[in-house]
Amino acid sequence: MFHAILFYAFAAVLIGAALGVIFSKNPVHAVMFLVLAFFQSAVLWLLAEAEFLAIVLVLVYVGAVMVLFLFVVMMLDINVEQVRESFTRYLWLGLVIAGLMIIELVNLVWVKSQDVLGQTGFAATPEGYSNTKALGSVLYTEHVYAFEIAAVILLLAIVAAITLTMRRRPGLKQQNIAKQVSVDPKDRVRVVKMDAERAE
Amino acid sequence: MLEEYLPVLIFLGVSTGIGLVLLGLGFLFGRGQKDAEKLSAYECGFEPFEDSRSRFDVRYYLVAILFIIFDLEIAFLFPWAVSLDTFGAFGLIAMGIFLAILVVGFAFEWKKGALEWD
Amino acid sequence: MKALIPQFLVDFWNGLPQAVQTVTISTTQILVVTVGVILTVAFSTYFERKVIGFMQGRIGPNRVGWRGLLQPFADVIKLLIKEVIVPTRSNRFLFVIAPLLSIVPALATWAVVPLHPEFVIADINAGLLYVLALTSVGVYGVILAGWATNSKYAFLGAMRSAAQIVAYEIAMGFALVGVLMAGGSLNLGDIVEAQAGGVSQWFLIPLLPLFLVYWISGVAETNRAPFDVAEGESEIVAGFHVEYSGVAFAVFFLAEYANMVLISALTAIFFLGGWASPFEGWSFLGEGSFLREPHFFWLAAKIAFFMFTFFWLRATFPRYRYDQIMRLGWKVFIPVTIIWIVVEGIMAWMQIGPWSGLAG
Repeated sequence: MFHAILFYAFAAVLIGAALGVIFSKNPVHAVMFLVLAFFQSAVLWLLAEAEFLAIVLVLVYVGAVMVLFLFVVMMLDINVEQVRESFTRYLWLGLVIAGLMIIELVNLVWVKSQDVLGQTGFAATPEGYSNTKALGSVLYTEHVYAFEIAAVILLLAIVAAITLTMRRRPGLKQQNIAKQVSVDPKDRVRVVKMDAERAE
Repeated sequence: MLEEYLPVLIFLGVSTGIGLVLLGLGFLFGRGQKDAEKLSAYECGFEPFEDSRSRFDVRYYLVAILFIIFDLEIAFLFPWAVSLDTFGAFGLIAMGIFLAILVVGFAFEWKKGALEWD
Repeated sequence: MKALIPQFLVDFWNGLPQAVQTVTISTTQILVVTVGVILTVAFSTYFERKVIGFMQGRIGPNRVGWRGLLQPFADVIKLLIKEVIVPTRSNRFLFVIAPLLSIVPALATWAVVPLHPEFVIADINAGLLYVLALTSVGVYGVILAGWATNSKYAFLGAMRSAAQIVAYEIAMGFALVGVLMAGGSLNLGDIVEAQAGGVSQWFLIPLLPLFLVYWISGVAETNRAPFDVAEGESEIVAGFHVEYSGVAFAVFFLAEYANMVLISALTAIFFLGGWASPFEGWSFLGEGSFLREPHFFWLAAKIAFFMFTFFWLRATFPRYRYDQIMRLGWKVFIPVTIIWIVVEGIMAWMQIGPWSGLAG
């Protein structure tokens, strides 16, 4: 019962936040609404007992990806009016695609899983069950191939990001910090002992 | 397992409440006379020279993308670290390959100079 | 003691449904811990000024109250009644939300910190991950504050501060993976219990490089000296919170010190055995000696020690340059932590050190 109240409450805020993302005039507001939407999704996943995934959602999506979005949105001067005027021109296309997606989702979730939906609730977790440990014991043994492919995809992302964005300014002098830090004081300062002189 | 998350939810609510109460108190008690000088942005006494959107510095974008990549690496390392005792050398080698691929990426970044300046 | 509570209150309590009982108990615990954290933060501002004052050959605040002990309260009252200025061209809603986004993660992380062998507000299985996630959310307060004030200096300070926080978060995450490998569980209470048995069992010794990386990254994350280039008082004034005054600034200040106390507590938990006593293995003290009992007092002492080192660092070292900070975070800490994780993995496989006696 309490479960259901929490679920509907967070789902309602999630839908509200998603609508806020689309209809916000200020792009930074839209990003913050998306952050709120991710928080609500994390709670919904937690209610579905996917503890590790819920917290990693907050850690990676809210903590990293949204920060990237925020950086980009803040640094680009987005002209919101120009973007808005094409809203009504392409509205029909948007509605068609949205309709198709709704049909597909209903088909998948409702029609095809009629037999699964008969059960209520989740199986009780045994004592000492750790979602992360269960995930770990499977991911690195049975699905090790997918895991290594994920590493290659991350490598691809690194190479792509650097290739697309690095621009070396010609003639730029850089400081070699390692050299600076490893300098020997004897090379730079020489202490000379002199007798005190009397001023005439 | 889920019952233990309820205090977390309450704590988030309580801390948000405390923050809002503090801010509310300040706005209540801290009213003063506002004038144009006080409300203008700080630029060492001058009027702001230009709009505050500076030229897009791509280094911040690159730092953010590299942060995403390494954050994902950490997210992959967590279940492995927890379940170290369930697999022997096989899990170690699997993670070794993963780390090796990402160290190659890191070395690439280093050599290209993506970790400089900023 | 229990007989003093009038009977009708006891009956009233037993008559409440179970859910209301648990919520009330949780809320009371939360309020107690929050008040404790806020008092700790308030007095740490006082102690910082005292400690730095003594290190610089002067007395800190000593006017308000006996030896200046009421100074934090005077500061709070002053900040509360100061005018809150919202600059004209700033985004008002974000301006108010930004301090909230700073303080909520700083306080909410305390829900999983084990304060006593039997007391932790939320004993969740993924405590470590939760801590890491909330520190990641703390970045938003900084960025939004810099953006919302619509001032070049604030924005630049916010961006630099955010890039710095983000770089050191990676180092912290890797260091925590190392701790996790030693502790074997994401639950903070289990990590503390894995270090039971005296100083030789603490993770400080096998994981010394990770301890240094984690602690220095903690100093860099909270933007404290010598890594405080983004709020360097002599350079870009106050960085991302230059336009904040009155209670909004107080909330940022509170959040920064709360983060400091949190990092101290987490370092004590991960590497120094949390609430475990350092005298645990000393059998000559006799069985059941109070010095060998684990208690909240040991955690408090360790937190106090790390807070002292925060102040010590501030008084001693000159500020790092920004590119030096980024070089340290990316080029030094990340390779060190990755190498140490590999070393630890091999140690775990060959069952030396803390993993001796592990099955499999």
